Amino acid sequence: MYTQIREGLAAAGGWRHRTGRQTVQVSRNVVYLGLTSFFTDISAEMVSTVLPIYLLFTLRVATFQLGLVDGLYQGATALVQVVAGGIADRGRHKEVAVVGYALSGLGKLGLLAAGGALGPVVGIVLADRAGKGIRTAPRDALISLSSEPDHLGASFGVHRALDTAGALLGPLVAFGLLALVPGRFDTVFVVSACFAALGLATLVVLVQGRAAPKEKRTHLSSKVALALLTRPRFLVLVLAGGGLGLVTISDAFVYLSLQRRLGFDARFVPLLYVVTSFAYLALAMPVGRLADRWRRDGVLVAGYVLLVLVYVALLAPGLGAALLIAVLLTFGAYYACTDGVMSALASAVLPEALRTTGLALLQTVVALSRLVASALFGALWTLGGLHATTEVFLAGLLIALPVATLGLARTAL
Amino acid sequence: MSARIAAFAAVCTAVALLGAGYVGLAALRSAGPSVSARAARSPAIIGGTAQLGQELGRPHLVFLQPSGGDPTQNELAVAPLAGPSPRRTLSGLHCSRLYVDAGHGICVGQNAAGVGHLLDAELRPVTTFLQPGLASRARISPNGHWAAATVFVSGHSYAVVGFSTQTLLYDTSTGAATNLESFTVTRDGHAFQSPDFNFWGVTFANGARFYATLGTGGHTYLVEGDLARHTAEVLRDGVECPSVSPDGTRIIYKARVPGTVGQWRLHVLDLRTMSDSALGETRSVDDQAEWLDSRTVLYGLNDQGPPATLDVNLWALPVDGGPPTLYLQHAASPAVARGAP
Repeated sequence: MYTQIREGLAAAGGWRHRTGRQTVQVSRNVVYLGLTSFFTDISAEMVSTVLPIYLLFTLRVATFQLGLVDGLYQGATALVQVVAGGIADRGRHKEVAVVGYALSGLGKLGLLAAGGALGPVVGIVLADRAGKGIRTAPRDALISLSSEPDHLGASFGVHRALDTAGALLGPLVAFGLLALVPGRFDTVFVVSACFAALGLATLVVLVQGRAAPKEKRTHLSSKVALALLTRPRFLVLVLAGGGLGLVTISDAFVYLSLQRRLGFDARFVPLLYVVTSFAYLALAMPVGRLADRWRRDGVLVAGYVLLVLVYVALLAPGLGAALLIAVLLTFGAYYACTDGVMSALASAVLPEALRTTGLALLQTVVALSRLVASALFGALWTLGGLHATTEVFLAGLLIALPVATLGLARTAL
Repeated sequence: MSARIAAFAAVCTAVALLGAGYVGLAALRSAGPSVSARAARSPAIIGGTAQLGQELGRPHLVFLQPSGGDPTQNELAVAPLAGPSPRRTLSGLHCSRLYVDAGHGICVGQNAAGVGHLLDAELRPVTTFLQPGLASRARISPNGHWAAATVFVSGHSYAVVGFSTQTLLYDTSTGAATNLESFTVTRDGHAFQSPDFNFWGVTFANGARFYATLGTGGHTYLVEGDLARHTAEVLRDGVECPSVSPDGTRIIYKARVPGTVGQWRLHVLDLRTMSDSALGETRSVDDQAEWLDSRTVLYGLNDQGPPATLDVNLWALPVDGGPPTLYLQHAASPAVARGAP
């Protein structure tokens, strides 16, 4: 992956993705934004891999409750996200993104300084979440503003592929370091901070910001954000994102279900994540390009059809090892068809002056609905068991998907 | 743009040098003084296979000599059971957590990757397994047929910071592993299940009976399980890391101190009457206790100094009341071998 990027840069025009007879051009800025996420995800995943072990080892505290706090906190960051989106839309995408990335990067050094005291560590984890909330929408807005409207899907595909590659490498780097210097968690934090610095340097030095569009200046971000919902196409996207989010089974539960169904050992669950991520990584670019050439809403709907297949496989009898691989690849393809494509779809309908605000709104709605879905799935599982809960979610998806498809078709550009 | 790329390259070089320098220094330091420091702390160490064999031939304590930092560097050691003796024999095997009984042993967390071993009567590895995570508890059944290991595994997700535990039961003759989460659990006679089930701290009674902690929804239940039928039944709330007495009538466990985080007190629970009482140890204990005899339990406590260190000492505590006494310094993860099986 990395050498390909180098070759892409050497070509001096950014990323050339050649398939068949056509060469798709992705702007240099998008590749740099992808590299920013690549480094930042290595940094973030390094820490999230070792943090629980570190907390246990240094504090001798099992923080079962921290996950819950974290979930609640995600709701609270929603407001921060939309406000930050409003500021970014005044021509400050890059600056707002820098604040978000810097907040998370400083946290890595903060972990070193905290020395395992619980209060500061929790604070740093929450600051990291805030940083992620702040930076995501301005970054996606910059990606879209740096792309030709016809190549939005390909641009987001390149970005998500680099992002996923970083997330895959992070744990490997962390475990490699701990194997080299056993027990020295500080080296993990220092190297993580170094990767965060690389990401920040890529953003600050290489990524070019966008000036504010002169004609429209936004003032009250919350009011403006709500006014965006009067645009039918955007409203449909938000409703579809939220509605489908409510019937989406989270990764963790999908992997857990597969593990229970097949009865293999829980220690192999991270491998499921790896297979899915590789499929996502490999398909993000070609699927993004397909979305550009055919239609983006069609690819999004196809993605959720793949999710239906995954649910059916979770319920079907006689799931074997070969089918398991097929399910994981399908699950990865679902991500490739939906994650970046959703941002591309929204970017195409949001005016430049309100793009970050709109993306922040959409991403917040999707994130919150998925949070609700996770809580719901857990509660239903406790009440009625895994099989029945999966059936409920499948039924929900079979209702939500045609409705969303109809809405998207009615408002098609 | 070329100036920007040059600036970026300069930043990259500086950051890479900084990171590599820090890791390099850490690697040098961790390779340096640790061996001599260990020798200085324990002048009475004797090594060698012959010595180990001799120690194993009489009642003895198998334990881990703490490394004072990295748990995977704890070294398996043996000391005579009778009388306070500074003599200890190191085996050369490293584990994060250890247990032996009935001529079998289990060593969990030999390295950061999660390699562990089932051991024979001479404490030699016979079967190697992989159970990634931070090793927490280990046990062997009194008949030697079963081994249990609990590790903390972290959720692999960008957004979630939290823990779950994984407890595997190993067949000591084949090395085959069974996840405790596959057992059918009942509470008050009804089926009980939840995705947030976590099991830890298995203790084996005679036959197919075992006890463990089931964590779910903020509760920590004591469950009584059946190895043959793959079932477990909830007995009581608020019980962590049980350790059943050799006669199977009582359980020593750690009870969370209300209103605190990570503070536990040792309690004894009579399984016949379900009467419960706190023991005479007032410090917080985070360990699975080991029965030294029918009246005394052993457990590890961090060296509280002053100054406090990462070293661990073993303490002995009467189960019928009374204060703890220091049993063995610079030792953790105790397993008592009373005599030839």
